[in-house]
Amino acid sequence: MAPISIRLDRVSKRFDHTVKGEVYAVRDVSLSVAEGELLTLLGPSGCGKSTTLRMIAGFEEPDEGTISIDGRDVTHVLPNRRGIGFMFQNYALFPHLSVFENVAYGLRVQRKGTTEIAHAVGKVLELVGLANYERQQPHQLSGGEQQRVALARAVVFQPKVLLFDEPLSNLDAKLRVEMREEIRSLQKRVGITTVYVTHDQEEAMAISDRIAVMERGEVVQDGTAQDLYYSPATEFVARFIGRTNIVEARVVSPAEVEIEGLRITFASGLPVGQMVRLVVRPEMIELQPAAAGAPDSAVITHHTFLGEKTDYQVKLGALSLQATASDHYRKPVLKIGQTVAVHFHAQGIHVLK
Amino acid sequence: MASRGFASEGRRVLRDPLLLGVITVLWLLLALFVLYPLTVLMVRAFSDEGRLTIEPLMTSLGDSSHRAAFFNSLILAATVGVLGTLLGFLFALTATRTGLGRRWLTLLDAAALLPLVSPPFTTSIAIIFSFGPKGFISHHLLGFDNVSAYGFVSTALAETLTYFPIAYLTLRPIIAAIDPNLEEMAFSLGGSRWRIFRTVTVPLAIPGFANAFLLLFAASLADFATPLILAGNSFPVLPTQAYLQITGMFDFKGGAVLSLMLLVPAAVVYLLQRYWVGRRTYVTVTGKVGQRSRTRAIAPWASVALVVATVLVAVSILYFYALLVFASAVVAFGANNSFTWHHYAVIFTEGVPAIRDTLIIALIGMPLGGLYGVLVGYLIARRRFPGRQAMEIVSMVNYALPGTIVGIAYLIAFNDPPIALTGGAMIIVACYVFRYSPTGIRATVALLSQIDRSLEEASSSLGAGSGETFRRVTLPLIAPAFFAGLGVVFIRSMTAISATIFLVSLSWTLITVRILENMTEMALGPAAAFSVFVIVVVFAVVSVLSAILARLRTATAGAAARSLLGG
Ligand SMILES: Nc1ncnc2c1ncn2[C@@H]1O[C@H](COP(=O)(O)OP(=O)(O)OP(=O)(O)O)[C@@H](O)[C@H]1O
Ligand SMILES: [Mg+2]
Repeated sequence: MAPISIRLDRVSKRFDHTVKGEVYAVRDVSLSVAEGELLTLLGPSGCGKSTTLRMIAGFEEPDEGTISIDGRDVTHVLPNRRGIGFMFQNYALFPHLSVFENVAYGLRVQRKGTTEIAHAVGKVLELVGLANYERQQPHQLSGGEQQRVALARAVVFQPKVLLFDEPLSNLDAKLRVEMREEIRSLQKRVGITTVYVTHDQEEAMAISDRIAVMERGEVVQDGTAQDLYYSPATEFVARFIGRTNIVEARVVSPAEVEIEGLRITFASGLPVGQMVRLVVRPEMIELQPAAAGAPDSAVITHHTFLGEKTDYQVKLGALSLQATASDHYRKPVLKIGQTVAVHFHAQGIHVLK
Repeated sequence: MASRGFASEGRRVLRDPLLLGVITVLWLLLALFVLYPLTVLMVRAFSDEGRLTIEPLMTSLGDSSHRAAFFNSLILAATVGVLGTLLGFLFALTATRTGLGRRWLTLLDAAALLPLVSPPFTTSIAIIFSFGPKGFISHHLLGFDNVSAYGFVSTALAETLTYFPIAYLTLRPIIAAIDPNLEEMAFSLGGSRWRIFRTVTVPLAIPGFANAFLLLFAASLADFATPLILAGNSFPVLPTQAYLQITGMFDFKGGAVLSLMLLVPAAVVYLLQRYWVGRRTYVTVTGKVGQRSRTRAIAPWASVALVVATVLVAVSILYFYALLVFASAVVAFGANNSFTWHHYAVIFTEGVPAIRDTLIIALIGMPLGGLYGVLVGYLIARRRFPGRQAMEIVSMVNYALPGTIVGIAYLIAFNDPPIALTGGAMIIVACYVFRYSPTGIRATVALLSQIDRSLEEASSSLGAGSGETFRRVTLPLIAPAFFAGLGVVFIRSMTAISATIFLVSLSWTLITVRILENMTEMALGPAAAFSVFVIVVVFAVVSVLSAILARLRTATAGAAARSLLGG
């Protein structure tokens, strides 16, 4: 495995809150990012993503813990001595400087020569597809273009690490998808270690090598998108990544559990008689038209046809379950009120600890 | 809790040597030119042969003429506060509610703003020319002989005309922000116009009234020049008494005690204005901009009456200035009205040292004041460091205090070793910089509140240290505040007297002080010529700065330009 580039060791940050007094924005966070890897911090608003990222950049200083980059302890190093490219949510382009000067800023600070600057800026602007924009002023650019300038400015001085704080949230949906592909491909090409903050799980899954899910200042799970989807550590993660059913079940034999009186073949590995909570993704539930009265029969209460798939809501005893079917090219869409047989696909089911 | 923040903020500053250096230097300067003089003043007032005592204060309070001066000051300030607020309200209503054309408004503004950029004795001179023994109105028009232009009435009148623009500038945005639709709605519900005015417009403007009143009260309380010329012996007030105590009787302790008597009401009014009323009015002014339909909430006849009254006042002001120009170009006003350049010849020969000194001091103070304002504004708006709030408060002190107090404090503090600075130009420059830069500080803070912090963070992530970030990013963006701050320091350096009258010397003098000397020698011609000269220079500089601000074209330059005059 690639060597570690960024390491956070038990980092905490507190802020004064006018009413609540001192509160933890980030609590006891340990993370590491390998060289060339893209790690996403994912979580709901206010969970401490930005604060974590800003501590890596040096804009905020941790109250406890240490941060190191490429083996150097930078916990108390000023941001301008860390060699980090940072992309802000609002782009933070300098309004009084042209596109060229914005991108050249980091090089000017390093006192690079004029020709070298012109060359480097030209090259990076080409890379982001803004070759002829050098003399434009920031206010003359569209949101997407401003985004690219900000990206060019952040990478032109070849930082060791690139940090993004919700860079796409000001763009429209289509552009967002386009830009995230671009960011990802650029990141891969340059091979730069990156930490990316977002609250959008789809974006996180699309762009990341690894995702760290945060909740109330803490990292609750850290893994690949598939790890998080199929083996969520907590109910919070299960609900945050994709859609899910959380189902109460009882272990009735080493190879079976019971849900609402329905026996399902599933080796939970837990003692008989114990109650468990299962993560069952909607696509793991299959519905078949059936006659009323069977033990596995349920009733469709709601459906949404989305083209490639249909989302169903069914009532099984006292349970309300979400199910998804994606084979309507060969099967009719089930109707509301229709009785169906419910089949659980045991391979995908995950037991919550 | 607080101590943890304090420690970590402190550590951060320690790691940034430039920041640490700037903060240290600023604190040293603030200590030297704000805290030290004030402390020395207090010590002088409250000590007697090395022991602490309130005896001098009690003696002073027991002195009936000092007590009279104290109450006179309050009465005068209250009168000017009420009259000036009414006059400002009149102008504000006319400007916002009568649908007056753009040109007329410009004229109105010019008349209202003239007094704010004039040297201190302008209105007093004009009043003497109008109502004095040989006055144009009293003698020539009405035929009185030997009337007196001195006393409470003329002082209050002169101060009202000088300071009401403050009320106008305060009230106008507030009344403009009161949505005419609100008035229209009340009108359409069948309320009479007068009723609407009483029950909607006036109540909404009340915080504005309070604010304007307090600002005028403070201005009048601190005014030294007008009462010195017009109040005479019959109506002594604190600033003039303190001045006479020191220059007439060389009684520094007495002057110190008197100036402390002035400090109490001044501090109360300042705190009330800043922390109570000022905040409320700010909330009111959320003014939407843009064209509005003319309101019908004011009856046509009332509109006409407003315009007539306003124009009358504006014309009287312009008449005063015309009189001043006229008096500067005739042999002896009232006695011999034939044209002459003589007075101008005098000021450009004998007056040259004063003009030269004033310009040198103003030109040195200007960049220093501009830079100081921007630096302090930046630090208190953008940096977290221990003592930030203290710095904000201390930097405002000399601005909030009446000039007389500052002048006497400087005189006492810097007259003797260890820090003997009186007699030089530097003490005058320092006085101006620390007294008039707060406008620049506030303009900077206001501007920075509109500039996202991420710009500076972006710069620092790109490798720039705090100094380089300030120079490359922050400074260009707050340039409007820099120029506004620098402009105010220049204007005040040309027109102020209350503090610096104590600091001039044989080698360094000021135009305003020369005007005062001319007045006491009854050489009114040169006094008028000097005043005209100052007004012309100030107007020229304001025009240049406005042009610069217009070229900067940032969204915030307009606000900064207004603070040029409002400050
Ligand atoms: N400078 C600050 N002062 C006080 N509290 C702060 C400060 N910055 C952040 N906080 C608090 O810390 C917590 C975490 O904030 P943070 O900005 O890291 O959240 P986030 O996960 O980035 O949220 P979002 O998705 O909304 O951007 C919040 O409760 C916030 O109110
Ligand atoms: Mg955030």
